[in-house]
Amino acid sequence: MNSIRIAWLYPDLMSTYGDRGNVIVLQQRCVWRGIHVQVTPVTLETPVRELEQCNLIFMGGAQDRQQKLAGEDFLKRKGPVVKKMIEHGTPALFVCAAYQFVGAYYKPYQGEPIPGAGIWDLYTVHPGDQAKRCIGNTVAEIITPAELSGTIIVGFENHGGRTHLGPKMQPLAKVIKGYGNNGEDGYEGATYKNTIGCYFHGPLLPKNPKIADWLISKVVGTLAPLDDSLEHSANNILR
Amino acid sequence: MLRDNTDMDLIDRLVVILSKFVSFVSTTFHLGAGATWPGEIALTLRPHIAASLAKEFQKGVILVVGTNGKTTTSLMLKTILEHVGDVVIHNATGANLLNGVVSSFIRHADFLGRITADVGIFEVDENSLPIVLRYMKPSRIVVLNLFRDQLDRYGEVDVIIEKWEKAFAALPKETQVIINADDPGVAYLGKSVPGTVIYFGVQDKTKFLNVAEHATDSTFCPKCGNRLRYDGIYFSHLGLWTCPACGYTRPVPSVSAWPNPLPGLYNQYNTLAAVAVAGSLSVRDTDIAHALKSFKPAFGRQEEIVMDGRTVKIFLSKNPAGFNASLRTVIEQRGQYFLFALNDRIPDGRDVSWIWDVDFETLPKSVRVTVSGDRVYDMALRLKYAGVDTKRMDIEPNLMMAVTDALARVPKGQTLYVLPTYSAMLDIREILTGKKIL
Repeated sequence: MNSIRIAWLYPDLMSTYGDRGNVIVLQQRCVWRGIHVQVTPVTLETPVRELEQCNLIFMGGAQDRQQKLAGEDFLKRKGPVVKKMIEHGTPALFVCAAYQFVGAYYKPYQGEPIPGAGIWDLYTVHPGDQAKRCIGNTVAEIITPAELSGTIIVGFENHGGRTHLGPKMQPLAKVIKGYGNNGEDGYEGATYKNTIGCYFHGPLLPKNPKIADWLISKVVGTLAPLDDSLEHSANNILR
Repeated sequence: MLRDNTDMDLIDRLVVILSKFVSFVSTTFHLGAGATWPGEIALTLRPHIAASLAKEFQKGVILVVGTNGKTTTSLMLKTILEHVGDVVIHNATGANLLNGVVSSFIRHADFLGRITADVGIFEVDENSLPIVLRYMKPSRIVVLNLFRDQLDRYGEVDVIIEKWEKAFAALPKETQVIINADDPGVAYLGKSVPGTVIYFGVQDKTKFLNVAEHATDSTFCPKCGNRLRYDGIYFSHLGLWTCPACGYTRPVPSVSAWPNPLPGLYNQYNTLAAVAVAGSLSVRDTDIAHALKSFKPAFGRQEEIVMDGRTVKIFLSKNPAGFNASLRTVIEQRGQYFLFALNDRIPDGRDVSWIWDVDFETLPKSVRVTVSGDRVYDMALRLKYAGVDTKRMDIEPNLMMAVTDALARVPKGQTLYVLPTYSAMLDIREILTGKKIL
């Protein structure tokens, strides 16, 4: 297959921290290689069949109110479809709020747990309004997927919730600098089949192009190399 | 709580005199931050001093809030009021927390602890507004807009709106609030104000965007949460909006037309805001027109510096909405030579993710670009993915070198457009003028 159709979930609701950067990078790296690429914005009003025609999925971070709006639609309509696609091997990237959201639930410091889409085996707990938010530049070394093992990834995290992985999940990376999933076990992000999720928010892929290429390769196979010297420079200064 | 009698008493005056003395000593001997120290001292000794100091102004205190445009709006208003003979005090750059506002009071007080000015115009930081309002009741508040900005520091737009809503509901009836009707989240705040609300907004179909920008924050109904319908968008989420679900709609602005003394639609909003406030203070239209005719932009805001036959225009660009507005203006001016400088220091925000929300794709392919700043590679990468040819891009981490190189490439008689974040703007100004601002 030499054609990619990216489903960008809730671009108007779940796109707070420059999340669009991921879509731009996926798109451009296909264009530069002559791979036919199309981005399909999938939002509240978009019918599920549009989503089903895509072969790569991205979902980003959100403000609370926007996440609630997207939440209803995702839990009822788009979430079950995404789950089926992921089980069939569709590559996907979930950052920040989306990473929490594909899990089982989010437990705020007050009130009842908010159900997640249950696509991934993980849950998130907010430790209380006195707990420190995890904010700052981050560096980590990828563990899984095996093809990317040893790759140093950099980014920025800004989250209140602490995420814990269930037995079906593999951690994405080992934290070198920053808080990671929960500030305790030293891991950052998670992987499941051909999908990746992490707390490195917003534009994960520009400075970590190997993850972008890994996602693309899951659809089109082996990729021609690109000149990534600028990407490396941007990655290097944060190490 | 505020005391009932908030006129300055003898102790207040002594505290002002003392703080003034300490400030004098600290600036003379270069100890600590002169801009906020005196306020810090006075507030420690007399927590409610802001209220009594505010009462010293005969025509009251005007607070200016919003993500973008505070400095330009304040300066326009100051220009207008000074033109009609008022003595105006305006807070120093970077002093927009409560201690900074009080410091401005103290700096301008005489050595008997009195303020003899007519009006105080104070820019207030988004997070500090509720705190400032707890200690001081202004005569007017100008609410310009709210866009995503330094999320690691300010938090999310919705959270700020919620805090402001509570603070506005507790305002006295005498406080007038001047609000941008085109920003749905901000306009909604008008509903909580107990006193008079004056709306301003743009009424000009020719200024509608053809394609909506990506960086929008309040495109859902602030009242019922459904998606808003726009009959036209001016920029970001500013436009002619209405909620098809609950019927809540943009308030009709009473101030919507005034010649813009500066380029850029965003300055049209700043102008309308300043004109609306001046009107509420009974300044005549002819006086406003006369005052604004000679208006000079604030430092770093479309400021022009001529260097060796070349013009440098600086457009402070510190968040997606502001950056998009700058880009639109420089593209309209057919800019060919650019310097983008991205820093990630505290005043810029440590997180540079936001550059991916800026529509750099609108840059014409023919431009010559120099990139610099602490996060030079992040910016270069953004431009590469926006389609700027890396061969036409000069990447220079050292800001001094970048300014020199960028200028050298500009032919005489032409203009270098500089789009920096806040701290980069201060550094570039210092490089160009040899003078420090802060």
